Amino acid sequence: MGKQMDLLQGTLDLLILKAVSLGPLHGYGILLRIGQISKDKLEIQQGSLYPALYRLEHQGWIASEWGESENKRKAKYYRLTVAGKRRLQAETEKWNRMADVIAGILHTRPEEI
Amino acid sequence: MRLWHRFRSWWQATVQRSRLENEMDTELRFHLAAHAEELMRNGLPREEALRRARLEFGGMETAKEECREASRANLLETLIQDLRYGMRMMLRTPGFTATAVIVLALGIGANTAIFSVVNAVLLRPLPFDQPERLMQLWHTPPQKSFPGVPTFAVSPANFLDWRDQNRSFEGMSAYGFGRYTLTGSGHPEAIRMVAATVGLFSILHAQPLLGRGFLDGEDEPGHEHEVVLSYGLWRSYFAGNPEIVGKNIQLNGQAFAVVGVMRPEFDFPIFSDASSRAQMWKPLAWSDQERAIRGDHNYGVIGRLKDGVTLQQAQAELNAISNRLAQDYPDDNKGWGAIAVPLRENLVSDVRPALLILLGAVALVLLIACANVTNLMLSKALSRRKEMAVRAALGANRRRLLQQALAETLLLALAGGALGLIFAHYGVLLIVKFLAQRLPRSGEIALDGRVLAFTLGISLLTGFLAGLLPALRMAKADLNQALKQGLGRTAADSGGGRTRNVLVVSEVALSLMLLIGAGLLIRSLWVLHAVNPGFDPHGVVTLNVAIPTGKFTVPAQQIGYYGRVLDRVRSLPGVRSAGLTDSLPLSDDGSHQPLSVEGRPAAAMADLPEVEVRLISPGYMSAMHIPLLRGRDINDSDAGGRAGAVLISESMAKFLWPNEDPIGKRLTLYFFPELTRVVVGVVADVKISAMNEVQPQPTLYYPLAQMSAARGENWRSFGMNLAVRTKAAPLSVVPEITNAIRETDAEVPLLNIQTMDDSVSASLSPERFTMLLLGAFAGLALLLAAVGIYSVMSYSVSRRTNEIGIRVALGASRGNVLLLVVRQGLMLALIGSAIGIAGALMLSRVMRSQLYGVQPTDPVTFVTVAGLLMVVVLAASYIPARRAIRVDPIMALRYE
Repeated sequence: MGKQMDLLQGTLDLLILKAVSLGPLHGYGILLRIGQISKDKLEIQQGSLYPALYRLEHQGWIASEWGESENKRKAKYYRLTVAGKRRLQAETEKWNRMADVIAGILHTRPEEI
Repeated sequence: MRLWHRFRSWWQATVQRSRLENEMDTELRFHLAAHAEELMRNGLPREEALRRARLEFGGMETAKEECREASRANLLETLIQDLRYGMRMMLRTPGFTATAVIVLALGIGANTAIFSVVNAVLLRPLPFDQPERLMQLWHTPPQKSFPGVPTFAVSPANFLDWRDQNRSFEGMSAYGFGRYTLTGSGHPEAIRMVAATVGLFSILHAQPLLGRGFLDGEDEPGHEHEVVLSYGLWRSYFAGNPEIVGKNIQLNGQAFAVVGVMRPEFDFPIFSDASSRAQMWKPLAWSDQERAIRGDHNYGVIGRLKDGVTLQQAQAELNAISNRLAQDYPDDNKGWGAIAVPLRENLVSDVRPALLILLGAVALVLLIACANVTNLMLSKALSRRKEMAVRAALGANRRRLLQQALAETLLLALAGGALGLIFAHYGVLLIVKFLAQRLPRSGEIALDGRVLAFTLGISLLTGFLAGLLPALRMAKADLNQALKQGLGRTAADSGGGRTRNVLVVSEVALSLMLLIGAGLLIRSLWVLHAVNPGFDPHGVVTLNVAIPTGKFTVPAQQIGYYGRVLDRVRSLPGVRSAGLTDSLPLSDDGSHQPLSVEGRPAAAMADLPEVEVRLISPGYMSAMHIPLLRGRDINDSDAGGRAGAVLISESMAKFLWPNEDPIGKRLTLYFFPELTRVVVGVVADVKISAMNEVQPQPTLYYPLAQMSAARGENWRSFGMNLAVRTKAAPLSVVPEITNAIRETDAEVPLLNIQTMDDSVSASLSPERFTMLLLGAFAGLALLLAAVGIYSVMSYSVSRRTNEIGIRVALGASRGNVLLLVVRQGLMLALIGSAIGIAGALMLSRVMRSQLYGVQPTDPVTFVTVAGLLMVVVLAASYIPARRAIRVDPIMALRYE
């Protein structure tokens, strides 16, 4: 298990959208899914997850529904909406462009200037 | 779609509140349970797993609050909570609350009152269909003969040419004013009549309530004996009887048929003075002779622009027509142009500057009130730092604290607005009472929907402005610091002190600007009061004696009648002297006429000199105490058939005979060429139209006995005005006078009975009223600024108690301590005054049109007002300073 990184501002929303795009999940499941796909390199404050979920739902990117968990418990499942799908796409492109630009800058060697 | 989501989540969150809370609980419990189960799978005991799960989750309540926030569940709820809490806080500190509410109410009330005037006079559309297309048309006179006169009434022939040659106007109508005597049932009633060419009602798009307007052809001579009644007259004189339409009534002894009754809201022309409202309208029928008159300008003209025609296009066309007329009729029209002025502009352009100045003044007062309340709130914020810190520690986020702090000032401002409405209600009554004579549409001033909306708007804005700074400061509360330090009294407050100093400096600056404005108006009024009107108003009563109904139609009869009236009045025991004139000083309803001087080359009318022309009886000059400077007064020997005699004013002598003796010069009045008149005397100049007249107006007086056209046919001549100098108090002699006149003719209406002192005072009433209002606002501002200084100084003294204690302990004298405190107040006042004077120097220029005999940068006013402000500031800082003197060094030090 490598060193955990702090989340960049605004990336939590993107991670949540990505996590639920792979199938409906409950809150704890989202936490686990993000941990799983990031190979536990990202730590998410549990307390900040739910406000983010409520905010995304309020904005209409995700929708929720009550269902039954693997342990036969009542749980709230979140899924991506159509608008959320578009949003995820746009955000992903933006993120990639940004990453390219930053990487380009950071890889610049003195003789290239 | 997205909007729907938001609305649904807000709806669920707000309305289905308990469901949200339940679900949130369930969801978070599930999370903890799931996490704990995983930990248990990793081998932790159940209790420990649950504890770890909770620990790793973090602040549960904070998360919940943020969830509510995120789904906007709190919007309504927290607002209500905050308002309720704010209300409790307000009630807990009644002194603070009362001060803040009253301060805000004064500011908001003043704004509401002035806005309701501005709303009725400047903003609300005129009571006509599509009023923005209605234009008042005027002549623009040649500036050589009429320096400074922007517009002039219109002559019949020019009106007819404008009407027939233009393509820009849907229609045009000329109108004039007259006074008729209505007889038949009981007492004779003087009626204000408007005679208009037939288009008037259709141009105004005005439908009568009963009957009809005028038909084409009714403005031909012989067909004009018809009238339309105003709603008011119909109700008061004819008891609202609908049968009156079609009946005949007696006006000036002639029969007129009533053809219609107008609706209650119809009023044309609209006058500044509501008591001048027209009561009847009749067709204006010009004879062929009258239709040809070009050089005598006596009529108002109203027109309605066609759809799609702009004012510029219409004006361009009017210019072209005027140029053509000036070429075709150079004698009468050279130099005479035409101008179209939007009807509302025409009505309000005189009062707009004063109203806007007042509006600016009340805005400044409100700013000062805001600064004051901010100040109060700041000191409150300080004492509540601990409370806020505890709230923050318990999980309230910054936005929530801000919102709560703002809710309190908003509540204060709304309470202030409500109380302000009550103040405004009485303020408006006062304004209407004082200004009804001078303000157009003053009858419409009311606290209507728009005014209420305005009040609500500025209340909210005020609350926001006054509360923002303290709220930010409260919400910033640094947890550790505040909890450690307890309640205030620390060095960390110095930032608040600086903010308060800035606030006080602005209060001083703003109130100084207002004070200077008021000071300039007071000086100006002072100058006006000292102005010599050219006559002695004390002990003189004047009244208008109409020409008895239709009995006297030729000049000789009228001259005889007025001679009898004058003889009768002069014989009364209470009367010292009496005389007649067609137009009294300060009334501005006299005639302005061209004349030719014998021995000078003949010229076209447009090139002749123009002077004010007045008709007087012997004895008028001595009754009014207008000094005779040279020659002789006119007397009874200057009668019809004798050599024409005139008196001229000093300025007329200078105007026409600058380096010669005017006595004995001969001249002819252009409109009355049959008699050559000789100047027999020179009298002093009098104020013709108003006390604030800057240039004396050249005036010619000629005897009534030598008048060559009967009065009463001309629209402007409402009989003659009798001026009586009495032995006792003027008004006490009035019954004696009116009885005497009624003995000469029982049916003659007597109007406008007032003392000359009242006329002088009425002439100054707009200036006085602007001055009183601005003075009141400036006084209010000064009071608020004094309160501001006082509170800052008290605060500063209480903060420096132990510093002062040390100083006293080290041997500082009472004088030293006093100086220490007062110096600080004085410093603030000096900086504020410097800024205020700079601001006033920039702003006072807008007041130039309101000033008479005083420069906007009048140094006397500036110095006096700044001095007054200093005295007030000294007084306001002296009280806290005295408290500082009494500081007991031992107590102060032990307190630390």
